[in-house]
Amino acid sequence: MNTTGPDSPSRRELFRMIGSVAGGAAMYQAMSTLGFAAESTYRGPVDLSGAPRGASVLILGAGIAGMTAAYELRNAGYKVQVLEYNHRAGGRNWSLRGGDTYTELGGFTQQCEFDEGLYLNPGPWRIPYHHRGLLSYCKKLGVPLEAFVQVNYNAYLHSSKAFGGKPQRYREIKADYQGHVAELLAKATRQSALDAAVSREDREKLLESLRDWGALDADFRYGANLLASERRGYAKEPGGGLTARPLPSQPIGLTDVLDSGLWQGIPSGDRYDMQTALFQPVGGMGRIGEAFARELGPLIRYNAKVVDIRQDVHGVTATYEDLAAPGTKLQARADWCLCTIPLTVLAQIPMNVGAALHAAISAVPYSSAVKVGLQFKRRFWEEDEHIYGGISYTDLPITNIAYPNTGYHSAGKGVLLGAYIWGQNAMEFTAMPPALRVRKAVEYGSRIHPQYPAEFDNGIAVAWHRSPFTLGCYGMWSEAARAQHYDNLCQVDGRIALAGEHASFIGGWQEGAVTSALDAIGRLHQRAIARGKKA
Amino acid sequence: MSIRHVTIRLALAVLGLSAAAAQADDASFMPIADLGQANGEQIYQHICQGCHMPGGEGASGAGFYPKLAGDPRLASWQYAAVTVLNGRNAMPPFGLPEDRISETRTVHLSDAQVAEVVNYIRSHFGNTYADTLTAADIAPLPHPR
Repeated sequence: MNTTGPDSPSRRELFRMIGSVAGGAAMYQAMSTLGFAAESTYRGPVDLSGAPRGASVLILGAGIAGMTAAYELRNAGYKVQVLEYNHRAGGRNWSLRGGDTYTELGGFTQQCEFDEGLYLNPGPWRIPYHHRGLLSYCKKLGVPLEAFVQVNYNAYLHSSKAFGGKPQRYREIKADYQGHVAELLAKATRQSALDAAVSREDREKLLESLRDWGALDADFRYGANLLASERRGYAKEPGGGLTARPLPSQPIGLTDVLDSGLWQGIPSGDRYDMQTALFQPVGGMGRIGEAFARELGPLIRYNAKVVDIRQDVHGVTATYEDLAAPGTKLQARADWCLCTIPLTVLAQIPMNVGAALHAAISAVPYSSAVKVGLQFKRRFWEEDEHIYGGISYTDLPITNIAYPNTGYHSAGKGVLLGAYIWGQNAMEFTAMPPALRVRKAVEYGSRIHPQYPAEFDNGIAVAWHRSPFTLGCYGMWSEAARAQHYDNLCQVDGRIALAGEHASFIGGWQEGAVTSALDAIGRLHQRAIARGKKA
Repeated sequence: MSIRHVTIRLALAVLGLSAAAAQADDASFMPIADLGQANGEQIYQHICQGCHMPGGEGASGAGFYPKLAGDPRLASWQYAAVTVLNGRNAMPPFGLPEDRISETRTVHLSDAQVAEVVNYIRSHFGNTYADTLTAADIAPLPHPR
């Protein structure tokens, strides 16, 4: 059998086949997708040897891109200064914890009232194992990691339009979908329907693999037996002693599985950037930004709102307002400038660069995204439903509910990610006052976890288009804009280079920020060397 | 929240229907498929005001969202309509064909809806432009592809 040919019964082909039969209605508008799966270009530590004596770099933005660059350039001997709009470092690398106050655009202020040790990551929350650049800095900076659970077989797939609105366990939908498809394919194989695509020799191997893959019985059938229950779970679990004997569960029929649309949730961990292993920093994603900030110390100036960027033949001057002393304008100057300011903001800052870069800066719309963190009085998802970490997906406007991948079995309160939304529903959530977003997340979540109303304690909601420091979640490159503007965005313009997730093919991921920063400072470094020495 | 939706919610409350049933007609959200039926006011309140704020006052942080209240640029309906259709700087485009919106995670508004929301903006927040646009005015303008 040709396993790579167009007719090979690979898993992807099966999904496609079933998808086209079912019409492929898009039930989940944004199921776990984030950016484009592209491999990190990280190839180990950057070589910046031979920095000209006294050469300086001004870095705008103390997010992951800016601080990666500051860390490396400082270590290479450059004089580095970083300007940051916020009163903290990290940018979108950020965790909201009890005691934090967050004021979004429009002046809506929220107090985070989570208990000690509990947090919401409003921005990035998972790190794939192949994001080697970011992981290398976690290692260097001593940021401890723990497992992030992307797929939890006991979490839910939920459609308000299927099974009377009752959430289904992931393991049941997956086992039943896979079992039925295997049975169908085995039937077709045995009826010689696939003879043109499958050689006689491979036929038996295919059948055996289908039996294995789908948990089929000796007659290539998927049904209410212990074989299938080993995948989907039992009606009565096996145990010890006199109550030991298990009872098989009844699979959901093929038609019901297909009609429900829940099969769309099955491959949520199959994408390259969602594959096990994934990580999260212990204590919240913000620990990375905090560790960078500790490392860089006084090199970062906070509360600095950049209002003008001007280059001349000798260097670059940024004018900024000191937000701690309103009305005060200050200037910072260096030989070179690495600008990591999000394009939303940068497009509004006067800067003397070429027309091509200007056009590129204005060519990328930023996405709308919303996260809501909900604190509950107890970890009922563990106590009542045996869900330890992972994500439930739903067609309701909240899109998903994610359970903490840490602190299992803790007494006391727990925080869920009560909503994580893109697209139209994110825009609608953004248009509401924060308290209403929290209330809506509780209302909708109650349809999946009826414990919500009794156990809800408090919540906090972050809508990225209301974020004062980014005015959006991340840059959404269309293919056409990418073709026309991406290279121009990344070119060094005189003494200024841009970096950030927006200057990468890993949009919306921190690895995009790391790799774009390393790429940009490598090229700035070459220019600095070419100049012989300082300017 | 539109009057129509308030009425539905009140009616459900009077009938004593469950909270779950009421949520099916939650005025806070339009079913994705129903966005095409939204009028200018609904589009503004469900989408635009996320950035431009409920009173059209805009906002300022590291960057800013322009205020629509008393914005002299709104004297040009073409300026407003082209901005809604194509976006401006990092503002998402709302005039992409329906099959192209997922690429940049935006939403699609028809020409009639673009006309409606521009009419709404130019006749609210202290703006008093009297001319009323229709889909026919929007159609000849440059659309994103």
